[in-house]
Amino acid sequence: MLQKLIIAACIYILIIIGLALYSRKGERTSKNYLMAGSSLGSLLGMFTFAASLFSTFTLMGMPDFFRVHGVGAWIFLAFSDALMVFGVIWFGYYLRKSVKESQHEYLGMAGFMEKKFNSKWVGYLMFIGVFIFLVPYVAIQIRGISIFLNQAFPDALPLWVWASSLVVVMLVYSELGGLKAIIYSDILQGVLLLIVVWIIGVFCLNSLGGMEAMFDQVEAKNDKLLSVPGPKGLFTLQFFIGSAMGIMLLPFSQPHISTRIMIMKDNKSLYRMALGLGFFAILVILPTAFIGMYGAINYADLSPAEFLGKTLFTDQSEIIAVLVTIGLIAAAISTSDSLLFALGGELRSLLKGEDKQMVNIARIAIVVFGIVCLVFALLSNDQLVLLARTSFAGTSILAPLIFTGILAKNPAAHKWLAIPTLIGLILFVCSSLGILPKVYVGIRAEIIIPIVLGVIALGAVFLSRS
Amino acid sequence: MKDTIWKICCALVIIIAVLTLSPLVLSEGKHKPELMGMPYILWVGIAISLLLWVITYVGVLFHPGKDD
Repeated sequence: MLQKLIIAACIYILIIIGLALYSRKGERTSKNYLMAGSSLGSLLGMFTFAASLFSTFTLMGMPDFFRVHGVGAWIFLAFSDALMVFGVIWFGYYLRKSVKESQHEYLGMAGFMEKKFNSKWVGYLMFIGVFIFLVPYVAIQIRGISIFLNQAFPDALPLWVWASSLVVVMLVYSELGGLKAIIYSDILQGVLLLIVVWIIGVFCLNSLGGMEAMFDQVEAKNDKLLSVPGPKGLFTLQFFIGSAMGIMLLPFSQPHISTRIMIMKDNKSLYRMALGLGFFAILVILPTAFIGMYGAINYADLSPAEFLGKTLFTDQSEIIAVLVTIGLIAAAISTSDSLLFALGGELRSLLKGEDKQMVNIARIAIVVFGIVCLVFALLSNDQLVLLARTSFAGTSILAPLIFTGILAKNPAAHKWLAIPTLIGLILFVCSSLGILPKVYVGIRAEIIIPIVLGVIALGAVFLSRS
Repeated sequence: MKDTIWKICCALVIIIAVLTLSPLVLSEGKHKPELMGMPYILWVGIAISLLLWVITYVGVLFHPGKDD
């Protein structure tokens, strides 16, 4: 089995490195290297958006989430994603319009906010904010797939070697070909993700005797899985509101996604891309529910790694198991490289100087970010979905500042908003680490902080107008 | 007209979001009525996702900045 996996992995790596070499055409400017020329059509846009959004978190985290917390997980992700897609159309338009009107060459949200607020401190704050919360998000992708590989091949390699190999592969091909290479490989990775998740989903459904039989067995095993708040009481109203807020704001608060809004050819392509993405989300999330229910019936008491190892690997035929493994590697790589690259782009957007030299600095920074994420991956825990959710919620704290920059008439007059945003970030980090309470006046920190910041920003804009 | 339909779409999305997060959908311990064996929260959740997609589709057709 390991031999087959190595052959399949080599073919896969050769293809993506081939794509990276193919996309090396043209001069290595910031626009070409970091923004892929900024003329993406809707189909390519949909795949790259989907591949960077749906990751190990979806393919491995969501089945486990359904298994442990029940079918309310659908509302957590699919409902929030549907709102996010509408948000891409609603506010994506304003983001593109604002960039166009400011005649700014968009290379990252940090640089754009620096320009709009006319304050380098706002730019630095944006960069620090995304760095703090994206590093754990990249780390869980790497860790997720590494623990799966370690579970599938316990005697082959230690966890740190799996994790390091993944980081090396993604750094090599993204360094070679830039964002274009990532976008081309995202097509391959998006298709693989969809095929793999459906193969396993249908397998799980069939082996349980179809939809009705499956839910009958789940009801007999633990009927709390079939409703909210789920067996562990996680799915409360506040949990859903916090998740929806975090996920809805992703296209603006997480740079790898806002970059994808900005590199679309025109608004029409953006809207078509968003529609495709909305449908893709439903298609990807549905089978993860079947996989989760299969786990709830057969592997209720196992750890996440053991459940995933058995369901996605041991219970499958050899060919499917190899395909699943490659699909998982692809999903992890596609999101991680986009995130690492976006961090490089954010840094580049803050740098001033000769373009070629700045691109080279960004490339070195991407390698450094990759190493930081690798270290974090080796130290983090296995709660993939909850760590991802912390990342979504954390970056959403930046959203009021970003929306002020995009929508306000004179954002420079409100540069002081960086101070409450910084306080909000510190409060959120402290409450996530358990240093401060997670709940204030009965409301969870991840809800109350962005709301308070939003009210402050709205008040400031309203007062300055009147 | 275009602008009005777009605004209606925005309003509908907000209303559906509020209704989804209300006890109408998030009713504790409720898993009936079922549809094709699926528990209440799952099939209603799928229906809401599809409905939001349809509204987004209509919204795209009538978005005021579509041809910018």
